[in-house]
Amino acid sequence: MRLILLDLPGPGRQNFYPLSLSRPIFELRCGMSSLAEKMAAKLAATDLAGFIPPYLAEVFRETSDLPVNDPAKLTGDDLMLVDGRVIAESFDTPTVGPSRVACDEEGRLLFARIAQADLAKLKTDSIEALVESAVATLPKAGAAPATWNYTWDLVLANPEQLTKDFATAGQCGIEGTIEEPAGMRGSKSDVYVAPGALIHPMVVIDAAEGPVYIDADAEIHPFTRIEGPCYVGKKSILLGAKCREGNSIGPMCRVGGEVEESIIHGYSNKYHDGFLGHAYVGEWVNLGALTTNSDLKNDYSSVSVVLDGKRPIDTGSTKVGALIGDHTKTSIGTLFNTGAYVGAMTLIAATGKPLPKFIPSFAWFLEGVVTKGFGKRKLYETAITAMSRRGRQWTPAQEAMWDEIFAITAEPRKAAVKKGRRAMASHRKG
Amino acid sequence: MATVEERVIAVTSSVLQIDPSEIKKESVFSTDLGAESVQSVELVAMFEEEFDIEMEEDAALSVENVGDAIEFITKVCKEQGVNA
Repeated sequence: MRLILLDLPGPGRQNFYPLSLSRPIFELRCGMSSLAEKMAAKLAATDLAGFIPPYLAEVFRETSDLPVNDPAKLTGDDLMLVDGRVIAESFDTPTVGPSRVACDEEGRLLFARIAQADLAKLKTDSIEALVESAVATLPKAGAAPATWNYTWDLVLANPEQLTKDFATAGQCGIEGTIEEPAGMRGSKSDVYVAPGALIHPMVVIDAAEGPVYIDADAEIHPFTRIEGPCYVGKKSILLGAKCREGNSIGPMCRVGGEVEESIIHGYSNKYHDGFLGHAYVGEWVNLGALTTNSDLKNDYSSVSVVLDGKRPIDTGSTKVGALIGDHTKTSIGTLFNTGAYVGAMTLIAATGKPLPKFIPSFAWFLEGVVTKGFGKRKLYETAITAMSRRGRQWTPAQEAMWDEIFAITAEPRKAAVKKGRRAMASHRKG
Repeated sequence: MATVEERVIAVTSSVLQIDPSEIKKESVFSTDLGAESVQSVELVAMFEEEFDIEMEEDAALSVENVGDAIEFITKVCKEQGVNA
């Protein structure tokens, strides 16, 4: 059986912006691993492929071994096509037996189990043709599987998922180094310190309420308190952090200040003091000193998020922090509103006031308004510098992908820039 | 109706807080008029607002003096069908 992970172009992708602007939805993280890794583990799949928006494909090939957008993967074996939004844990469809499909309420395919014998009756020259013919001809499965519908679903599920993933990983004990004096609360069976990880003196690991997994070569500086459940990725450094429950920190991050129930992808920095709560932060993000997000409204009502610059979406949760896209940088003292949407490749020079709830991708937030700033070329130059500092290269494929993202995100950016110009002009007249 | 030159000078005067009489065609925004980098972004935004045009950031920010700005804006107005 070949598992084919799907993230096909369509309106549903926007629900995971700004993170899905620059990665397939199945590469989003929850708990200790990505959605793709969870589905592969759930189905015990070793033969995998993916189909993703074409503009993401080349960069994805540079960073992943998963073959993508290869029609040859649509033949030669039983197939299990699964949309990246399907929650692996609740996906109980047998990988053997008769072919069947399930779609969501909008008619988008959620999964298709296709026996090899049935493939001959279907169109296999492209993923779109295969999906269309499978939905049209194969029997429907009884119930549609549960799905992740928005980025904040992942954030809200993160603490519970961390606990489950720790149990699945089945590792505990100290294989790295813990320098004394150290503080440990809870059961030692709920702590894993991987080989190469170094815990400085005066660090508290509190696993009383959930497990703590510190991955290989991570370094935890003095006066850090890590409250479980928590995952600290490979080669990440915690700098005197107040790391409260429910955090997933990707590889090569630098994290200080107070962080709670947040997901941070790799290579991002939140070096200094400032609060990040119920947030989802992409790669190569730098949050300046004292950058803080609100994750709870003063009236305790549910938080809304604006994903398209126009319509607020009620999250149904009283706790949602900022969603921050890849390569975004904030100045010292940046204050994000509750449920803020902060696009990718955005530069923010704070004014001391809480920022608008929607800041589009490639925006330069200067003097209290969204501007065109110094353009995308300058943002690319910063990205190149940031990546080279960690030994990573900005490739022509990445530039092409970001050019496409610049085009995809043009409409809300133009509207925000226009609004900013008017505000600037009226401020001058006033 | 004011000319492009008069309007460019008026916007420059407002953003940089300089008396219009001190702004000449050969005045360089950064060195002669003291425009800091954030103010140059503001100048571009305010020219766009004044003339109701969209300027490409890299090209607009590479304009160094007032005379070149007048020429550049006149060209963009023409391209975008705006009467200036």
